[in-house]
Amino acid sequence: MKAILIDTTKCIGCRACQVACKSWNDLPGEASTFSETWSNPKYLDADNYTRIIFQETTSPKGELHWNFIKRQCNHCLTPACASACPVGALKKLPDGPVVYNDDICIGCRYCMMACPFQVPKFEWSKAVPLIRKCTFCADRLVNNQEPSCAASCPTGCLVFGERDQLLKEAHRRIGLHPGKYYPEVYGEKTGGGTCKLYLTTASFQTLGLDHQGFRPDLGDYPHGLHGREWMAKVPWVALTVGGLCTGLYFYNKRRGEVQDHDKREG
Amino acid sequence: MTNHWNDLANSDCVLIVGCNPAENHPISFKYITQVQEKGGKLIVVDPRFTRSASKADLFVRLRPGTDIALFGGLINYAIERGLFHKDYVANYTNAPFLVRGDFAFNPQEGVFSGLNREKHAYDPASWDYEADKDGKPVTDPTLQNPRCVFQLLKKQYSRYTPEMVQQVTGIPVETFLKMADMFCATGKPEQAGTLLYAMGGTQHTTGVQIIRSYTILQQLLGNMGVAGGGINALRGENNVQGSTDMALLFHIVPGYMGIPNEAKHPTLKDYLDKETPKAGWWMNKPKYFVSLLKAFWGEAATPENEFAYHFMPKIGKGFQGSGYSWLPLFENMAEGNIQGMLVWGMNPAVASANLNQTYVALDKLKWMAAFDLWETDTSVFWKRPGANPKDIQTEVFLFPAADALEKEGSASNSGRWIQWRHQAVKPHGDAKSDLWYANALGLELKKLYQEDPKAAAPEAIVKLNWNYGEDPDVHLVAKEINGYTWADKKQVPNFVALKDDGSTACGCWIYSGFYPGPDKKDNKAAARNGKDPSGLGLYPGWSFAWPVNRRIIYNRCSVDAQGQPWNQKRALVGWDANAKKWIRNDVPDFKWIDLATKAEFPPDESLKAPFIMLPEGKSRLFVPKGLCKEGPLPEHYEALECPFVNPVSKQQSNPVIKIWKSAMDKVAQICDPRYPVIATTFRVTEHWQAGAMTRNLSWQAEMMPEMFVEISPSLAKAKGIRPGEWVKVKSARGEVLARANVTNRVAPFCCGAPGFQNTVEMVALPWHFGFAGLITGGPDKKQNYAANQLAPMVGDANTMIPEYKVFLVAVEKA
Repeated sequence: MKAILIDTTKCIGCRACQVACKSWNDLPGEASTFSETWSNPKYLDADNYTRIIFQETTSPKGELHWNFIKRQCNHCLTPACASACPVGALKKLPDGPVVYNDDICIGCRYCMMACPFQVPKFEWSKAVPLIRKCTFCADRLVNNQEPSCAASCPTGCLVFGERDQLLKEAHRRIGLHPGKYYPEVYGEKTGGGTCKLYLTTASFQTLGLDHQGFRPDLGDYPHGLHGREWMAKVPWVALTVGGLCTGLYFYNKRRGEVQDHDKREG
Repeated sequence: MTNHWNDLANSDCVLIVGCNPAENHPISFKYITQVQEKGGKLIVVDPRFTRSASKADLFVRLRPGTDIALFGGLINYAIERGLFHKDYVANYTNAPFLVRGDFAFNPQEGVFSGLNREKHAYDPASWDYEADKDGKPVTDPTLQNPRCVFQLLKKQYSRYTPEMVQQVTGIPVETFLKMADMFCATGKPEQAGTLLYAMGGTQHTTGVQIIRSYTILQQLLGNMGVAGGGINALRGENNVQGSTDMALLFHIVPGYMGIPNEAKHPTLKDYLDKETPKAGWWMNKPKYFVSLLKAFWGEAATPENEFAYHFMPKIGKGFQGSGYSWLPLFENMAEGNIQGMLVWGMNPAVASANLNQTYVALDKLKWMAAFDLWETDTSVFWKRPGANPKDIQTEVFLFPAADALEKEGSASNSGRWIQWRHQAVKPHGDAKSDLWYANALGLELKKLYQEDPKAAAPEAIVKLNWNYGEDPDVHLVAKEINGYTWADKKQVPNFVALKDDGSTACGCWIYSGFYPGPDKKDNKAAARNGKDPSGLGLYPGWSFAWPVNRRIIYNRCSVDAQGQPWNQKRALVGWDANAKKWIRNDVPDFKWIDLATKAEFPPDESLKAPFIMLPEGKSRLFVPKGLCKEGPLPEHYEALECPFVNPVSKQQSNPVIKIWKSAMDKVAQICDPRYPVIATTFRVTEHWQAGAMTRNLSWQAEMMPEMFVEISPSLAKAKGIRPGEWVKVKSARGEVLARANVTNRVAPFCCGAPGFQNTVEMVALPWHFGFAGLITGGPDKKQNYAANQLAPMVGDANTMIPEYKVFLVAVEKA
């Protein structure tokens, strides 16, 4: 299982990854306006699979910090999007990527609702809209190339490799510099674990990014299993609700007929 | 760079000052990050909290333009606390040299002996070493003589106490002491500290002296010549190192030899007699200069005609006696004295200081030829906002230029590595390489001069040795730069083989050795051996570093007097006393071998002259003979436009700068109430220089789409400015609209002598935006969003680089 370790303490906010992503995926640059934080584009959408969040904070001691946090699909081990998809358009590949099949998608957008990180985006402006998100450069991985974001990173903030080895490395760094890092790897267990592993200086809650796609409340339970449990109930729910509705339909129909009959008679 | 990019990783402490590598040289952070991983420290000194500062162990917020006061303080701290590297200073610098008795510095007036206030110039006669009866400098190895350089240095900077540093720079004493302790720790023999700088250090009226103050500290701490040390200029463009090596500057010819002067050097003999020092490696200058003449004029360069020296253009005094650099050029152009201009890979309509004057100058041109990828702000200067194209008679030619990937050739990086680049794709459309255009122009000029019977002095052009083909072969140019023997046209192995008798030709002596054979496989710039035997990131088989593939220059200083490395783990060279041989991980930069007998010299030979390029053989804490026009030691002066009275001395600003007098050259007064805010300019990762390339790329444009100005929350509050709204920034010369970026990354400075303290706000503007291209900097097509409309046309006294980094403005709601 491949993964990317994102050691945010090493990010210099150069955004080479943003450009490399657009370059590899042939995505257009959009007309934008000034961003007060410098983060731009301001949201993930169908043309923006990754972005760096710029975040300026001042510590109680008055020290200024400027954090740069990369966002993209986290490629969950048990992806909620895939489990919610009624037609199997989203799929977790054995080496890590959660990929999407244009030809099968029916446009129901369940995946968007299911994702705890608000990642899948819809092509709202297209006549036949599809879902778009980071692919973990699955089309590069099959050619033994690392994802284009990781390949473009100058500082080693993004390290591509085997997930278990990267986790070891992440914990080695935490152990080596206990004051520097928050002692948890976001993504190791979060929502059942993801293929994007974050090292940060503080928790995402402390960083104030819990509402920007880094929920701290997901727990360790694989999020995709929630979806699978719910989706597993679909046939029973369909039969029960369907049967009930059919019954109600005939009941109402019969009642209407009786009333009509009564009126005519009356 | 004295060192090179990979070498940054060897450092114990990286000092970033006057540059912003995380944003403008992001790849460098690969190596800087490695330093921090190994437990090394990163100090960032900047007026702004930058993306580099976000990674620093210590951020030091410095009022722009006050570097000399800070470094004066550090020099004082290192000397007072005995933290400097004593053996190094005594053996490798000019610290023991005695200075003439009539040299003086007046600490109250803040000026050196010899100032002529009317002429704005010094007579530097007294700024020299005391010589014995043989003309050799007198020295005191104990460094105790009050007239030795060390004692003069100590006296000069004893005034720069931590308290004085705070008064001038706004850096709290506590922060200063933290920084001083952290960086001066590299004064220990086994430690190495590197200093990185760029335009934040140079773009001042005191730019040269600011850099000098950096170098003095590095010499005192023994950080020169060692792996992980050095003084490293981060070049702003990928091949700007190559362009200076090839002398795209008015005062030199290729290989850093002074350009002949019409008054001083009417004959070759005059030039060589006056310009060749009596000691040091530059004694070889006649070989390099004559070989250059031979490369230029070939058969027409003979011993009888002084190798065609009479064809070599010689410079006069320049416009208003101020040379031919950017400022006099555009002042002169604005007066209508220049007819045409070739614009090559430049965008002066955004990059130049005091743009409104630049536009007036461009309007006066009869013609302009621009060689570029596409239309730039400069090639459409005639339809800029506010101009009426009907009033501008300039005829503009735009030639489509090939992109870097569409042509073959070399680019020299900041670390002096000449790296060959292959052509990836054929040029788009009708585009041609810059070499193709230069060659076509050369051939056409030759033809025109040949055919025109009335041509003035045609021979200098007609007889040029110009044989690169109709469709020029870049390898022929490269081979000429390397040098060859004239008679049998054999490539020379390196510059040691060059002669002053016309038997060799060489286009740029410092590059000699990079193409030592006739075939493409001999091109060492294209060598790509990724082996690093020393483990120090030297990669001797990867490309070619000038000179002679030496990766770290002045490397005699990486070992002690006996030739033993200060730090065994970072040994560049070392003397093996048993074998009587030098261990050479890098190419020695000193006298180590007798070329005739192949016997190796013991270390005491090179101890005499560890700096082979200087006649005195020792590096210069004190610069003699007026080589720096403001004095032999850096002294703090304020920027020309400044809201503070100089707390250090009565001399407010650099006494020898040129103040231009044209109607467009407006300057704010000291503490001008109309312009109460300090402004500085900067670059961001997302845009490239004057923006012609990145403002036309949608991926870059979407990340930084609009002009903005960084404003502190306190200034925003005082002016009622809301975050993100458009504001107007005005200077004495112009105004620009920008979005308010209200942020704690900029802050006001509290400076001034006790009793005269004042708090002054600072704003910062990116200078990438303009008026042409996919994005200009804002939604209004009738606006010019170029920050340099504000910057003054005033330059450093030595280099004439404009003072882009400090000027005064007013900020108001738009």
